[in-house]
Amino acid sequence: MFVQIEDLVYQYRNASEPAIKNFSLQLNEGEIIAILGESGSGKSTILRLLAGLETPKSGMIIINGQKMVDDHTFIPPEKRGIGMVFQDYALFPHMTVENNIKFGLRHMTSKQKQKRIEEMLELVNLLDYKKRYPYELSGGQQQRVALARALAPAPSLLLFDEPFSNLDASLQMKIRDELKQILKQTKSTSIFVTHDQVDAAALADRTVLIEKGVVKNISKVEPPKSYSLI
Amino acid sequence: MKLVQQVKTQINMWAILSFVFIVIILLPNILIAIHFFGEPNENWFHIKEYLLFDIFYNTSILLVSTGVATIIIGTSLAWMITVYKFPLRNFFRWGMILPLAIPPFIGAYTYQGMVNYTGFIQSTLRNSFDLQVNQKYFSMMSMEGTIFIFTMFLFPYVYVITKSFIENQSSSIIENARLLGANSFETFVRVVLPISKTAIVGSATIVMLEVINDYGVVKYYGIQTFITSIFQTWFAMGDRESAFKLAGTLMVVVIFILVIERVIRGRKQFSYSTTKIRPIQPKQLKGVKAWIAFSYCFTIFSLAFLIPFVQLIFWMLMTYERILTAEFYTLVKNSFFAASVAALIIVIVGLIIANYSRIHQGLLPKFFARVTVLGYSVPGAVIAIGVITIFLMIDRNLGSLFKLFSIDTTFVLRTSIVMLISAYVIRFLAVGYNSIEAGFEKVGTTFTEASRTLGLSTFRTFLKVDIPMVKGAIIGGFILVFVDILKELPLTMLLQPFNFQTLATRAFRYANDEMISEAASASLLIILISGICIFIFHKVLDRGEAN
Ligand SMILES: Nc1ncnc2c1ncn2[C@@H]1O[C@H](COP(=O)(O)OP(=O)(O)OP(=O)(O)O)[C@@H](O)[C@H]1O
Ligand SMILES: [Mg+2]
Repeated sequence: MFVQIEDLVYQYRNASEPAIKNFSLQLNEGEIIAILGESGSGKSTILRLLAGLETPKSGMIIINGQKMVDDHTFIPPEKRGIGMVFQDYALFPHMTVENNIKFGLRHMTSKQKQKRIEEMLELVNLLDYKKRYPYELSGGQQQRVALARALAPAPSLLLFDEPFSNLDASLQMKIRDELKQILKQTKSTSIFVTHDQVDAAALADRTVLIEKGVVKNISKVEPPKSYSLI
Repeated sequence: MKLVQQVKTQINMWAILSFVFIVIILLPNILIAIHFFGEPNENWFHIKEYLLFDIFYNTSILLVSTGVATIIIGTSLAWMITVYKFPLRNFFRWGMILPLAIPPFIGAYTYQGMVNYTGFIQSTLRNSFDLQVNQKYFSMMSMEGTIFIFTMFLFPYVYVITKSFIENQSSSIIENARLLGANSFETFVRVVLPISKTAIVGSATIVMLEVINDYGVVKYYGIQTFITSIFQTWFAMGDRESAFKLAGTLMVVVIFILVIERVIRGRKQFSYSTTKIRPIQPKQLKGVKAWIAFSYCFTIFSLAFLIPFVQLIFWMLMTYERILTAEFYTLVKNSFFAASVAALIIVIVGLIIANYSRIHQGLLPKFFARVTVLGYSVPGAVIAIGVITIFLMIDRNLGSLFKLFSIDTTFVLRTSIVMLISAYVIRFLAVGYNSIEAGFEKVGTTFTEASRTLGLSTFRTFLKVDIPMVKGAIIGGFILVFVDILKELPLTMLLQPFNFQTLATRAFRYANDEMISEAASASLLIILISGICIFIFHKVLDRGEAN
């Protein structure tokens, strides 16, 4: 198992009951998982726990053989090698597209960095935009920069929190297909959160349904049947 | 094991530094509390018997009258300027903040200089109309005069805070009241005042804390208050114990005011809705009404800014040749140096504490934030005697330490500028902190989290993301603190090293030595710098609101 999540429990400081109760999940390398659930069901909280932005009350997370969290361990977010695309993208407004992508690159010569930036920009089809600032981009372009920024350090796991919620419907479909292509092309293991069944079915290999912090159902997505027009 | 993990994630550089700063802030107060409950001496019984009643009486009158007067003037102006258009309204909108650029003590001696025997009012009456007036009615040096000065130079606090509160309300509230049949005055009294209660009470509290903190006005006008009594017992009588007792009693008064504020404010917080609201569209006033509104604003503006400002310019023109010497430049240098060093330290300390309480939730960070803000409620003179006492202790210990190693040293912290700057930092940290905290609040935590998932530690995130993103708030905080220190009097008077004077203390000394026109140059420089900062602020603020 590439990612192993066992019995995670998390309770917000001022809440009366846990937001996440005994959450367990396993992922294979390169797999795409969709977490589905109503608003307030705890989807974002799971991603935050994985990223290390919150500390679970109990439970264990192992990624690629490295223990991230258990009763004795807590690896801080910056040492986890997990990429995250935020719902509102969180692009640094004081940096250009190029510098946003460069932000997470470490232990590289500047030539290597430059090469990596170009690769990423090409991947998300934004080569001409590297000198722009985030506010000079459309919503869809911002989303792609956020993706490129998260992918650039080659994270072992990628997390997406409602990646399409800020885009209008027609753009959603286009970006969704692009995203799937990119994720498969880069063989990224990823988890994304959504409350849209259609998104989940189109993108993921498996979907996890949660309700009030508890896993209700895990199901495989059937590969789309090919319709033939006769 | 769980606990150890928790502690490990909680205790880090940020927590430790914040803790150290908080202890430093609290130390003078703790010292005062200890002495407050200590054995009283003979003199204290004397003070208690003959002075304390007067002090309490004067303080209560000053607080209540100034509080009420600033609320009346401040809220009426805020309402008028927000909902009506009349001649010069756009100018008054920010011009009404300008009186804050004049420290009350400068206003006090300027007004006294205008109305006394040699002042321009009496000279004009004498020379042009051959009128001799009863001196009794031509002196500001009374309780009424003091209240007038405080009201004129402090009402902008109420005005600014209430105005921005009303401006942030949706126009539908006012429109609804009108639709329900209320006229303007009714709307003001029955809708606007109640919903602005938090803002009004909060700003009136600031005014009262300023009145309590004041030394210059009451000393010059001869009104006995806590601060003047602390100066007397400390300086004139050399009776530290009684000064501590007075400071402690004053702190009880301060706490009382803060509690009352809490009670009046209640638990209801009328929070702004996050969705974009339709701003209030001011209504054009016509005819007599427009001129009444204009005259009211113009009168207040003249009394609180224009008249004293013009008078000071006259005095400066009379004296500047004698005043603008090398000594004056030393004053400027001293003021700028002390204010900018202290403001720099405050901004750094404020950033650390704000960042700590932002990243970590929980009681301790919240407590830290609270203490930081409360620092501003402690009057400067109280902080000063607390700080002196601490430095005396440090000096004593350092002295014996140096002797131990038989190092001959004349280095004494107590008389150095280190002490003055430490006290500034303790007193004004809240001002810088508030600005920075507001900046962080606006930015949120997502960018910090994004940076950390991209592999940057808290510290590197702080440098590369957090600081650049709240740059505006940092600069704003720096300027606010800088101006406050430039105007500061009581703390500086108590703690300034030998041969070290600031523009404010020099101006006060001139005025106190009946050399009122000589005080004008230093005063004007203070007013000019403060005024420019206020102007910049207003412009930046307006631009921010427009976006
Ligand atoms: N900072 C917080 N403090 C206290 N409770 C919180 C906090 N953040 C979230 N919660 C609560 O935890 C639960 C799960 O929240 P979470 O944000 O994970 O939901 P979500 O599934 O992502 O919802 P949405 O689809 O609306 O984004 C909710 O009941 C929420 O109210
Ligand atoms: Mg969510």
